Amino acid sequence: MPNDHDQSPADFDLRQAARPIWQRISLVWLVPALALIISLSVAYQNYASQGVLIEISFDNASGVAADETVIKYRDVTIGRVEKVEFAAGLSDVLVHARIDQKMAPYLDDDAEFWVVRPDVSVRGITGLDTVLGGVYIEGNWDTEADEAQYQFVGVENPPITRAGQRGSVITLRARDGSALSAGAPILHKGIQVGYLETPELSFNGRDVLVSAFVEAPYDRRITSTTRFWDTSGFSIKFGASGVALDVDSMASLIEGGIAFDTVVSGGSPLVEGQLFDLFDDEDTARSSLFAKPNQEVLNVSVLFEQSVSGLSVGSEVRFQGIRIGQVSELSAFVVADRDDQQVRLRANLEIEPGRLGLGPDASTEDALGFLEDFVLRGLRARMITGNILSGSLQVEFLQIEDAPTAVVRQTDDGYPVIPTTKSEIADVAATAEGVLDRINSLPVEELMSGAIDMMDSFERLANDDSLRAAPASLNALLDEARGLIANEDVQAVPANLRSALSDLNKVIASADEAQIVSKLAETLQTANTAVANIEEATRNLPQITAQIEAVIAKTNALELDKLVQEATATLASIDKLIGSDATADLPASVSAALDETRLFLAEVRQGGAIENVNAALASASAAAKAFETSVQGLPALSNRATSLVSQTEAVVASFGERSRFSAETLGTLRDIQAAADAVTNLARTIQRNPSSLLTGR
Amino acid sequence: MTSGLMTAREAGLIACVRCGLLHEKKIHECTRCGAYLESRDATSIQRVWALLFAGMITFVPANVLPMLKTNTLVEHSESTIIGGVFELIHHGSIGIAAIVFIASILIPVGKFIAIAYLAISVQRKSTLNQHQRHKLYEVVEFIGRWSMIDVFVVAILSALVQLDTIASINPGVAAFSFALSVIFTILSAQSFDARLIWDTDRTAHAK
Repeated sequence: MPNDHDQSPADFDLRQAARPIWQRISLVWLVPALALIISLSVAYQNYASQGVLIEISFDNASGVAADETVIKYRDVTIGRVEKVEFAAGLSDVLVHARIDQKMAPYLDDDAEFWVVRPDVSVRGITGLDTVLGGVYIEGNWDTEADEAQYQFVGVENPPITRAGQRGSVITLRARDGSALSAGAPILHKGIQVGYLETPELSFNGRDVLVSAFVEAPYDRRITSTTRFWDTSGFSIKFGASGVALDVDSMASLIEGGIAFDTVVSGGSPLVEGQLFDLFDDEDTARSSLFAKPNQEVLNVSVLFEQSVSGLSVGSEVRFQGIRIGQVSELSAFVVADRDDQQVRLRANLEIEPGRLGLGPDASTEDALGFLEDFVLRGLRARMITGNILSGSLQVEFLQIEDAPTAVVRQTDDGYPVIPTTKSEIADVAATAEGVLDRINSLPVEELMSGAIDMMDSFERLANDDSLRAAPASLNALLDEARGLIANEDVQAVPANLRSALSDLNKVIASADEAQIVSKLAETLQTANTAVANIEEATRNLPQITAQIEAVIAKTNALELDKLVQEATATLASIDKLIGSDATADLPASVSAALDETRLFLAEVRQGGAIENVNAALASASAAAKAFETSVQGLPALSNRATSLVSQTEAVVASFGERSRFSAETLGTLRDIQAAADAVTNLARTIQRNPSSLLTGR
Repeated sequence: MTSGLMTAREAGLIACVRCGLLHEKKIHECTRCGAYLESRDATSIQRVWALLFAGMITFVPANVLPMLKTNTLVEHSESTIIGGVFELIHHGSIGIAAIVFIASILIPVGKFIAIAYLAISVQRKSTLNQHQRHKLYEVVEFIGRWSMIDVFVVAILSALVQLDTIASINPGVAAFSFALSVIFTILSAQSFDARLIWDTDRTAHAK
C-alpha cells in the first residue's frame, strides 16, 4: 500500500460524454442566421423596390443618359433610365428604364413618353429646368389601370392635352391647315380657353382635321350652334368706314389661332369629339348660323357678256338683298350660235337651298324647281357693284317686270343656266366721272349769257332813241307851249279872253242852256285818263322788277338743275319781255301820247283853255317821274342778277371743295391715311423694340 | 520545437486569460480579477465560424448596395464601394482609389481569409508555422479596430455635407452592412482562442 502510496493514481481520462449535436451547437450561430435573414430581407426589399423594367423606343434620345435621366409623371420622378442602346438595325434608340412598381399598372396602351427639352416658343419658355438638370423623360397616361405594358414607342413632341386635365376634346374641320399649328390657342372673347393639337389630313384628303382641347368649364359654352373661325394673322378691312386693322394676340399672329362663339342659344350640348367646321373669318362664321354648314349646294351657271373683272370666287350671290350663295368658279365659255362662236364669261354659283326660304331641309332639287319657277316669272341675274371703292362685284338675282320669257337651260356639263339682264356696275371712277360730267353739263354759259342778255336789254331800253326822245319831245312840247304863250294870239288871249269871257258868259249863258261846260270838263277828264293810262303802263316796270326778284328768290331755293334751267328760262322770258315789241314800243307810245297831247294842246291853243294845258303838263311830268322810278329799279335788278351769278358760282365752287361727296371722299382718304399711319406706328414700335413681339409688351 | 515548455493545462492548472494568475483546476472563478476560468474554450471555434459567417454575409450587401447617396443640384448618384473605386481611378486619383480599395475590400477579405485559415488550421490540428499563425492572429486583432475607417468617412461626410438642395450626402444601406461586417469580424477574431494554436503541438508531442 505504502509503495502504492508513491504512485499517483492513473490520470483520469477526462473525456466528455458525447452530447447530441443540438447541445453542442452554440447559440452564437443565431448571429450569422440573423445576419443572413437581415441581408436577405434587405436584398429582397431592394429588389422589390427596384421597379418594373420598361423599354421605350425613341427616334432621337439626345441627352438621355443611363442612370441619370429620370422619368417623370406630372413632374414627379417615378423612374430612372438604366440603359440606352440601339435597337436591332439601328433604327431606334431603346431606352430601358425602371418605373416605380406602384405606377406600373397604369402604364397601359395609352401611355406616351417623350423627352423634355428646353423649348422657346411664342407661348413661352418650357423645360427651362432641363437646361441645368439635363433632359428627362416625361410620361403621360390616364388614371385608370389597364393591362400593363412594358414596351412603348416614344413620341417626338409632348401631347398637348395631359391626362387628367378636365375639359372636352372636339374635332375641327378646315379647308386649309396653313393657319393651324399644334398648340395654337383657342380664344373665347379674347381669353385662351384651349389649344389645338397637331393638324392632320382627313381620310379622303380633302379637309384638314385638327383635334382641339377646350378646358373646363369653358367647354360648356360650346353647343351644336357654336361656330369656330380662324383668327390667325391680322385682317385689314377696307370699306366706306375706312380701313380697319384687326390684330389678335401676338401668339395667334405667329402661330395662328381660332376663336369661337355661341350666338344662338338652344343648341344641343357638346358631345365628346364632336366635329365642327372652321370658318375663315368671324363674319362668315356668324352668317353661317342660319344655314347648315357644308350642306349640299345647288350649282348654277350664269353667262355674262361683259367683263367679269371685279367678280371673284367667293363673291356673294344675293337675292333681294339676302345672301343666298357665292361664286364658286369663273371661266370662259364658248357659245356656238349658228355660225359664229362667241366667248361668254361664265360664273358658277353655289346656291344654298336653305337660304332660299325653302326650309332647312330643302334639297337641291327643291331649290332648282324654285329658281326655274322664278325665272319663268322674270327672275334674272346681273352683276352689281358690291363695293364702290374696291370695285368688287356681286351677283344679284332680281325680279324684272315684263321681262322676255326665258327658261332655265342646261349647259353641256349639266349646269342650269340662269338668264341674265343688264348689269349695273358703278365703279368709283365712273361715279366720280359722272358727277363731274353733270357739273360740266350744267348750262353755266347759258346762264351767264342770259344774264348778260338781260343787262343788254336793260341798257338797250335805257339807250333807246325813243326814250331819249321823250325829254326832247317834252322840251318841244314846252317850247311849243311857250311859243303858244308868247304868241300874239295868246297875248291876245286876254283881250280875246275878255271878249271870249264875255262871249263865254254868253256861251255859259247859252251853255247853261246847252251844257257846254260840262261837256268840256268831260273831254278834259278823258285826256287825264289817257295820261294816267300811260302812267300805269310805265308803272308796270317796277312790278316786273319785283317779279324778277321773286323769281330769283324762288330760283335760289330751287334745286340746281331746275334752278339753272328756270333761271335761264326766266332770263329768257325777261329778255323776251324786254325785247318784245310792246316794251320796245313803250317809249314810242309815250311819244305818241305826247304827240297826242301836243295835238290836243294845239287844239287847246285853238280852244284856248290854259288850265287844261297845265294839268296835262303835270300829268306828263308825273309820267316822266314814274319812268325815272322804273329806271331806278334797274341797278337793283342788276345786283340781283349779280348775286344770282355769284351764288351759282358758289354752288359750282362748292362742288370743288365742300360737297358731301368730296367731304366723304376726303374723310375716306383721311381714314386711309390714319390707318397707314397706324401701320407705320406699329412697324416703328416693332423696329424700336423688337422684343415686344416676343414679350407681347 | 516547444517541447521543453510545459503548459498550464499540462500542469493541471488554469491560467486566467485576463490577469494571468494560475489557479487550481477546481476553481471556476479567478480569485484575483473574478473572471470566468476555463482551461480551453470549447465553443471558441464554433463562435469564430458563426461570427465569421455573419461578417461575410453582411459583407455582401455592403459591397452590392450603395454606400453613399449623393444628391447635388444637377444629379443624384448612389455609389457602391467598388463603383467608387473605379470612379476614382477614372478621375485619376489612383492613390485614393488604392487606399479605399485596400481599406474597404482587401483588408476585410484578408481578415476573413486569415480567420478562416486560423480556424481551419486549429481544427486540423496543424503544427505548421505556429509562430506565424500567432502573429497573423495578432495582426488581425490589431487591424480590426481600424476597419471602421470607411464607416467613419461616411458618417463624417453625411454630417458635414447637408446643404439641402445644392448638395447632400446620405449613408446608404451598405454603410450599415459594412459596419456590421466589421463588428462581426472583430468579434470573430476575439472569439478565437489563440492557445489552441499551440495545443495541437502539445498533443502531437504527447502522442
